[in-house]
Amino acid sequence: MGATAQKITKKPNPAKPSLELINDVQQFLYREARLQDAQAYRDWLTMLTDDIHYWMPTREQRYRSNPMEPDIAHAAHYNDNYADLETRIRRTETGTCWSEDPATRSAHVVTNIEVELTDSPNEYRVYSLIAVYRNMNEDEEHTLYGHREDILRNVNGELKLARRKIIIDQNIFLSKSLNVYL
Amino acid sequence: MDMRALRPFPADYHDYVNTEEGWVDRRIFWEEEIYQQELEKIFARSWHFIAHDSQISKTGDFVTTYMGEDGVIGVRDKGGQVRVFLNSCPHRGNKVCYADSGNSKNFTCNYHGWAFGMDGSLLGIHNEHIYEGDINKADWGLREARVSTYKGLVFANFDVEAPELDDWLGDYRWYLDMLLDNEEGGIEFLPGTIKSYVNANWKFGVENFIGDSLHAMWTHDSGAKAMMGGEPFPPADQTDSYHGSANGHGWEFGTDGIADIAILGQPEVIEYYESIRPKMRERLGEMRAKIFGSLASASMFPNISFLPGLGTFRVWLPRGPRKMELRIWTIVNKNMPDRIKQLINKGTMLTFAPGGTLEMDDGENWEGNTQTNKGVITRQGKLHYGCGTASRIDHPEIPGIVHHGQYNDANQLAFYQRWADLMNADSWEDIPQRHEPRFAGKPTR
Repeated sequence: MGATAQKITKKPNPAKPSLELINDVQQFLYREARLQDAQAYRDWLTMLTDDIHYWMPTREQRYRSNPMEPDIAHAAHYNDNYADLETRIRRTETGTCWSEDPATRSAHVVTNIEVELTDSPNEYRVYSLIAVYRNMNEDEEHTLYGHREDILRNVNGELKLARRKIIIDQNIFLSKSLNVYL
Repeated sequence: MDMRALRPFPADYHDYVNTEEGWVDRRIFWEEEIYQQELEKIFARSWHFIAHDSQISKTGDFVTTYMGEDGVIGVRDKGGQVRVFLNSCPHRGNKVCYADSGNSKNFTCNYHGWAFGMDGSLLGIHNEHIYEGDINKADWGLREARVSTYKGLVFANFDVEAPELDDWLGDYRWYLDMLLDNEEGGIEFLPGTIKSYVNANWKFGVENFIGDSLHAMWTHDSGAKAMMGGEPFPPADQTDSYHGSANGHGWEFGTDGIADIAILGQPEVIEYYESIRPKMRERLGEMRAKIFGSLASASMFPNISFLPGLGTFRVWLPRGPRKMELRIWTIVNKNMPDRIKQLINKGTMLTFAPGGTLEMDDGENWEGNTQTNKGVITRQGKLHYGCGTASRIDHPEIPGIVHHGQYNDANQLAFYQRWADLMNADSWEDIPQRHEPRFAGKPTR
């Protein structure tokens, strides 16, 4: 489990990605956001590789002289493989998931998309910023911002998400639940 | 018109909690006046969880946390002792530490540069020569709390009159040993904290963990099915399951040894605990080895909770009567293989964190429990806590106040009785002992 997180932060390949690739990546991320808002989670799962690592570590407020990089062994909101994500999704399909009925309303906004080539010809490093607005129950509002660092992989001509690291801009997580994927 | 909406607050806090009839007055979950009394009479006098030894193992390692709404720093000093100080400068009151954790030789206030050592003493002041003769530094250190530990858990208390930690825990140590001492080497906390806000009264978290086994089967049906391959919680077994409490600390439990561990969804962790079970029997005896790992949940007065075997440990820090900060850690046995520790880490985060398959349904309930009380008519009502009131037993092995059947309101009522006992009392002599202690002055293992 320890190795996967390290892979993400390698030196970029200096070669420029094609406009076509950039376009494909953007379309991939927008589609993903749309499926999230529609809560079409099974469709979203088809956009992931079998070896997905989906990771959102918790934050700790530290002095600059005393930094602590999140490590895979630390507490995390998500530290999931494919089966773990499927477990979470299975909960929403039981018919007894009370806190999701009535359903949460959400808007996933993706921006600041940057595409980099990597040493692997089939894998691309993609940075993006995600903003998720949630509206729950009568009038509750929660907004989350996440800095994402992804590895997208070309699998038989189709892009899939293979790694995602999300760093959110909150120290104390400001709401009672995290019922969205960023 | 029913004038009870304007009824005065009772002077006796036992009038809010009826243990005979089994109800609780809704106002204790809403009113600012009651909350202020809680800060004075409960939080300012209780032993509070600061850290586990493993979180601040080296000299200068520190964490910041809260005792009630009082911010504190817990730091390991040069002599290896944990010291706990108010996180507030005695000059103008600013915080002297703004980090959640770290390592530091001193804590310096940002305002005028007053610097305090690991022993809390005022070491120096920026441009100190200006104070020539105006200050005796020895008189102006950070205010220090009493510190005491139980099997690696570090507690602090600002009340010099409060009983020693061992007496505060009392017979509850018999229970706590199952969590902290079920294997040679004891426990450790894994790195990292999950902190989150819940817009609910702090007591709803505590009472849920202290005794509310019943909610799991309904609230967490979806989470249980997700974690356990489509299977719901096993049917309620009242025959060999219990509520046990001592001094307001409680533990509700079954006796099959694995149901809580199973919720992690990690079969290897069950296998690990089964492999150490024979040694656990030698350490803790047949009864406790049978309890540990069963469907169970527990809280320590006033605001610490955990799920033994599953590995989530948390505090519910009050942020006013209608909001709390939840801090969550994962605990494991120190001598477990790393792989087992990481499987537990993964399992606790997947179940009992803000995004967890079980936790998500809890926070939603507790906010509802709290926020409905904004209605004055709503607030006039009382809440039913009468399940299992006639189930009290004497058990030859289980100490404290014991009730038969883990689907029960007994521990919740014992918690609220302790709450009322402290809210009423001006001195520790006024606080009644609610059961005959079996282990007074004696170790529980």
